Amino acid sequence: MAEVVIEKLSKSFGSVEVLKDIDLTVGDGAFVVLVGPSGCGKSTLLRSIAGLEDVSGGAITIGGRKVNDLAPAQREIAMVFQSYALYPHMDVAANMGFGLKFAGIPKAEIAARVSEAARILQLEPLLKRRPRELSGGQRQRVAIGRAIVRKPQVFLFDEPLSNLDAALRINTRVEIAKLHKLLAATIVYVTHDQVEAMTLADKIVVMNQGRIEQQGKPLDLYYRPANLFVAGFIGSPAMNFLKGEVVAGGTGLGADGRIAIALPPGATPGMKVTLGIRPEHMSIAVGGGDLHLAATVELVERLGETGFAHLRLASGTVVIAEIRGETGLKTGDRTHVALDPAHLHLFGADGRRLG
Amino acid sequence: MPQGAYLRLLLFFLGPAVLVYSLFSIYPLLATIINSLYSRQNDGAYLWEGLGNFRTLLLDPTWSVPFWNALRNNFIFFLIHMCVQNPIGLLLAALLSLPRLRFRATYRTLIFMPTMLSVVVIGFVWQLILSPLWGIARMFLNFFGLGFLFAPWLGVESSALITVSLISVWQFVGIPMILIYTALLAIPDELIDAATVDGLNQFQAFVWVKLPLIWPTIGLVSILTFVNNFNAFDLIYAMKGALAGPNFSTDIMGTLFYRTFFGNQLQLGNPSMGSAIATMMLIVILTGVMVYLFLVQRRIQRYSF
Ligand SMILES: Nc1ncnc2c1ncn2[C@@H]1O[C@H](COP(=O)(O)OP(=O)(O)OP(=O)(O)O)[C@@H](O)[C@H]1O
Ligand SMILES: [Mg+2]
Repeated sequence: MAEVVIEKLSKSFGSVEVLKDIDLTVGDGAFVVLVGPSGCGKSTLLRSIAGLEDVSGGAITIGGRKVNDLAPAQREIAMVFQSYALYPHMDVAANMGFGLKFAGIPKAEIAARVSEAARILQLEPLLKRRPRELSGGQRQRVAIGRAIVRKPQVFLFDEPLSNLDAALRINTRVEIAKLHKLLAATIVYVTHDQVEAMTLADKIVVMNQGRIEQQGKPLDLYYRPANLFVAGFIGSPAMNFLKGEVVAGGTGLGADGRIAIALPPGATPGMKVTLGIRPEHMSIAVGGGDLHLAATVELVERLGETGFAHLRLASGTVVIAEIRGETGLKTGDRTHVALDPAHLHLFGADGRRLG
Repeated sequence: MPQGAYLRLLLFFLGPAVLVYSLFSIYPLLATIINSLYSRQNDGAYLWEGLGNFRTLLLDPTWSVPFWNALRNNFIFFLIHMCVQNPIGLLLAALLSLPRLRFRATYRTLIFMPTMLSVVVIGFVWQLILSPLWGIARMFLNFFGLGFLFAPWLGVESSALITVSLISVWQFVGIPMILIYTALLAIPDELIDAATVDGLNQFQAFVWVKLPLIWPTIGLVSILTFVNNFNAFDLIYAMKGALAGPNFSTDIMGTLFYRTFFGNQLQLGNPSMGSAIATMMLIVILTGVMVYLFLVQRRIQRYSF
């Protein structure tokens, strides 16, 4: 396995700059997950690593070897596509061995590698079937098998689970995690799914409009988002934002009153800030208090033991707070919501985290 | 639903199609076959002949020589289309579907254009181009110093049929191209990306991935070519007239049928023998289609993506 180093990578389609100044290191054996809104360039970045797109600038190094000018097959990568992209006219075994055949690997060796992959992925009974005779999950495993047999330095996955139903997704997610351990593989993985990202990744890379907004360990991104974008993107339901300004000894939130919080250094009175807090760090409170805001219940969503209350504050902002157990809350109720001071995030006018 | 209502519904939806189809397709077909079993006397009466007309057509040299000649020419006509038109159509479709091609729509339209022109116009234009007296073909070859290659291709027995066939190929190459191009477009890009990652170049990906996936379309194109070629008539008639000269070297089933059925110059029209020829055309086409359906089509797999 190998390390992938991406330096100052940029990519344009015509005059549209899709990737800007991407710097990213994928450690040897690391599992890096790319997330970001649709169209932010995740697939393009992955395809650039694979060599399916020519880059406009910067360098990509795989295992110490600069690969910018190498064809995909010479980069020692394997890619798993969202649509699986299995060859419909070949059976499972042929699908897995197809690339090896063109790499000039002897038949016996191909057969050995295919059966090894089939064993790992429990595809042995299916080797003679055509893709259309397989279920979605089985096709996905064949696609992964096709990647494994190549013994690549790096695995690239582009939303591999998005065509599977919820139960199968969880299963396959676990399988991929196991496979990662088993093969000690370096993996770059694109997904839309927060849970996939949080559970699989050693490192999450949040992209937005062709740039990397933040990269780091999943919990670091969760607990210390570097800016408003990452704060709003990671976590579901999204973090609540309250606009306000710094006043002596705390933050003024306009009609919602003022709350006393420890201010980070450099926060001067009058400065415009955004206060962020996740639903799970808010709770329904009885009566006023230091970090309590008055609210009217707009909607209550129960998911069982937990649920979410949509609350309209005095300023008109709607926030979502997590609720636990039976609260008896119903639409129209007047109540208070308490903020957990340990989990307040403060962002400056430029969107960057303060402190 | 009560049976009466069901039948009425059936009649309402199927009736018009059955009526039109019967009137304009099945009735003429049956009438032709029945016609071929009679012969018309000089007094206008029809006499039952059984298979007599067919015996005459296949065995009496007056009839059988032109018949076998036309059938042979028709097969040559078909083979030239199969071996020239369809491979070129495939090649053009492959080129059109190259990812980085510019002016794609322009090429597609230009190549498809002749298909939409009238055959009469095509025939006339090519006759002018190839004319030994003032055709530009000769000047064109001269310009490249290849003038010695020029011959009055349309007027020479040995080359007339090939020339006419190639003109037809030129006119209709757009059809296999469009059909195959459409089939190629249906192949997902990710499949080709997968092949690229597997180490195939564009050409190998075409041969090993795309081609196997478009066999059904190529089969379809072949059978369409076969049916169209054995029903062909207009181009030969427009360029060489009903006599399909020189010396019947461009005579195909359609022109033979036309002369026989409607008559031409000194030859009187003979509806019975004409019908017999038409029936033979039907048999040839039917045989071809059957062979395709039962031997070829069954072995071709269709894929959905
Ligand atoms: N071949 C192309 N030509 C022009 N623009 C392209 C091309 N491919 C992608 N783009 C543009 O590049 C941007 C990034 O696309 P990309 O497919 O990388 O997004 P993504 O992050 O993978 O989105 P999604 O989550 O929807 O898959 C988009 O704005 C897209 O319109
Ligand atoms: Mg994508």
